[in-house]
Amino acid sequence: MGSLVLVPRLVLADVRRHRLQAAMLLLAVTVATATMALGLSLNGVSDALYEQTRAATAGPDVVVLSGEPGPAATSALSSLARAPEVTAHHGPYRIVYADLAVHGRTSNVVVHGFAEKPGAVNRPLTTSGHWVRPGGTVLERGFATALGVGVGDRVTIAGRSYPVVGIAVTAATSVYPGAAQIGPGGAGSDYSGLAWMTRPDAKALASAHDLPVTVALDLALRDPARADAFREAHRDPDLRLTFRSWRFTAAQDLNLLKDSQPILIVGSWLIGFLAITGVAALAAGRAAEQTRRAGLLKAVGAGPGLIATVLLTEYLALALAGDALGLLIAQLSVPAIASPTDSRIGDAAGPGTAAVVTATLLAVAVAVLSTLRPTLRARRTATVTALTATAHRPRHRPRLTALSALLPTPLLLGLRLTARRPGRAVLQACSTATTVIAIVALLTLHAQTERGYGLGGSSVLPNLRGEHDRRLMLAVAVLLITLAVVNTVTFTWTTAMEAEANMAVARTLGATPGQITAGLSAAQLLPTLPGAVLGVPLGDGLLSLFAARNAVQAPSSWLLAAVLATLVATAALTALPARLAARRPVARALSAEAA
Amino acid sequence: MNGSSAAAVVTRGLVKQHGQGHGGVRAVDEIDLEVPQGQTLAVMGPSGCGKSTLLHLLGGLERPDGGEVWLAGRRIDTLSERALARMRRRSVGFVFQGFHLMEELTAAENVELPALLAGRSRRQARRRAGRLLDQVGLTARARHLPSQLSGGQRQRVAVARALVNDPLVVLADEPTGNLDTAATHDVLRIFGELRSAGQTFVIVTHDERVAATADRLISMRDGMFVDDLRMAAARPRGLGGLIGLGD
Repeated sequence: MGSLVLVPRLVLADVRRHRLQAAMLLLAVTVATATMALGLSLNGVSDALYEQTRAATAGPDVVVLSGEPGPAATSALSSLARAPEVTAHHGPYRIVYADLAVHGRTSNVVVHGFAEKPGAVNRPLTTSGHWVRPGGTVLERGFATALGVGVGDRVTIAGRSYPVVGIAVTAATSVYPGAAQIGPGGAGSDYSGLAWMTRPDAKALASAHDLPVTVALDLALRDPARADAFREAHRDPDLRLTFRSWRFTAAQDLNLLKDSQPILIVGSWLIGFLAITGVAALAAGRAAEQTRRAGLLKAVGAGPGLIATVLLTEYLALALAGDALGLLIAQLSVPAIASPTDSRIGDAAGPGTAAVVTATLLAVAVAVLSTLRPTLRARRTATVTALTATAHRPRHRPRLTALSALLPTPLLLGLRLTARRPGRAVLQACSTATTVIAIVALLTLHAQTERGYGLGGSSVLPNLRGEHDRRLMLAVAVLLITLAVVNTVTFTWTTAMEAEANMAVARTLGATPGQITAGLSAAQLLPTLPGAVLGVPLGDGLLSLFAARNAVQAPSSWLLAAVLATLVATAALTALPARLAARRPVARALSAEAA
Repeated sequence: MNGSSAAAVVTRGLVKQHGQGHGGVRAVDEIDLEVPQGQTLAVMGPSGCGKSTLLHLLGGLERPDGGEVWLAGRRIDTLSERALARMRRRSVGFVFQGFHLMEELTAAENVELPALLAGRSRRQARRRAGRLLDQVGLTARARHLPSQLSGGQRQRVAVARALVNDPLVVLADEPTGNLDTAATHDVLRIFGELRSAGQTFVIVTHDERVAATADRLISMRDGMFVDDLRMAAARPRGLGGLIGLGD
């Protein structure tokens, strides 16, 4: 019972004493778990939004399309409508291929000719305005948003102006820009938006401009799960019909998010890794203090179990708090990330059980991996030794010392400081490499050429998928860079504090504050250089696992600039803490060491 | 006014206050001091009387709140940190009670360090360090780490390090404070040899045996000098006799 009181009391006291470290752990874990939970939630959320749209719009189980309109196609489609597996149908209806212009933007559009009174299947839900009426058009919501068009605006379709009388959503087609499920004549389709008109208007539009037309039939099946079996059972060897099951359409929705998931999942692992390196560096900097604390606890009768509990509980509690925050952020931001178009409606449920469990495991891993070593050390050290614990004594490195003697003073000091804590140098190099991986990914995404959604691939309507990926990558890169910045400052300050006495001695021997500052900066730059250089091929390698075959690499000049910018940024970031540390009074540092 | 040309160290009206307002304490209070070249000055006094602060002011490790510090005819209390560092490299050697050796460097590498900071080549630094380690009797221990040396040996390494750039003055803060009798003997023997060679010393100490080897003994209390004793008559006596160890 006493332990139950003691552990939280000791944990709270330590958190209060080390607020900055606590805040850093909390921030790092929050960011890592939010990113991880978002990445793992995308599939589920996309499916959920499709399902909700399908339910609200009586979405068909199968859409059958024929690229060659005519009596044969109409007859075949009518025959399908009477098939025993079919419980209801809508159509056949006309799909007209045209172009649409508004506000100086032009796009492909497929116009569905619908009845003024919607049928039993595929009843688009108007989210504003009203359903089609003669002379007016209704635009699909994702398309309207991309065009910046609302009810009351006028759009020009195939050269004729129509008022937009409504905005609607449907589950019968993929999200914008995948409305054209087949092209004219059954060929491949291009990026297109969706508009509805009355049947006579659609017919008039097609005939007036001699536009290509296909026909479609929406079907509701007795057993929607057998949609694929229905297609196999009703293949017509004489007529080319295209069957699109509801499952196919739901899967098409995910195409827009194809790259989002790896960006978020891989990003979360990298963020988690940076969190571990940063917190591990802080924990290592406090190792002697933690060991003394453990010695004190042992001296007053605490067992090894209680000591491990006290030390780990602090990090675990903070990590779990960060996990909860991260999951909350994921829940709030998932709709925007999982649905980059406005083509679907509904509430996006938060992260599922698998996402919650995985994110929590990540948080626990960050806490345990970053503190396990100091905790074990504190637990194992004998009480008397623990009470007098001093910072870990660096190893003598004769070759490196001899080499550094040939260098200018800042590099001499920097190299020797780096050699005092090789583990930290490795962490700094890894932290830098991780950051450069993110920058390489960001640059590579920006180097891709992609077709816009405008007419003929024009970028007057931007490629939503590319934009979405770049925005996500930018967000992940910003988070990674932020953590890397915090890590670099932490590494510099921890190095400076651990080497405070040595640097004070160097001052008494004639080293200037400028040389000490430069030495501390050099101690961070030396591992940063290999980390930055290594980050480029690592980034390329990681991207090659997910990139499309026709993906292009970022130009070498961009990558070189990224490496140089990383080095310059590190030098700038380390300058301030190094300068502050170099200006601490020498006499006080020497007195503290002597005491 | 400047320091006497024959003086290695001069202070005029030197003041250093720790803390501010009513809670402030004058660690060094209006001190005038002149240490001629070649003199060994011992400063004694109870803990907290300002001895170490005075030493830090003389070496430019702390800046005075008032007064002047001159080293070899050059005023140093107005110098920039950079210029102070250069001055320390050339003119000052420090020896501390706690040795303050770099734990990850061997004895020889510790001694080489100030020479490298002063811009000497690695070969020059090594040669000079070798000579000094020989002088302090540690040639055989040159490749040992501080953790492999006794307290007396560490302090001898620190003395060699202080001398590597031929300083104008060696400032020693309780150099025997952490040493046993035999080690104290070793260090004082080295100081005696250096003094004979004309090295200037300012030694802050609690140890009367150390003070007895000086040319001049100043007693300090509450930041001020309360006694200034010339001890020239004591010098002809043997070192061992002076420090009560027997020759």
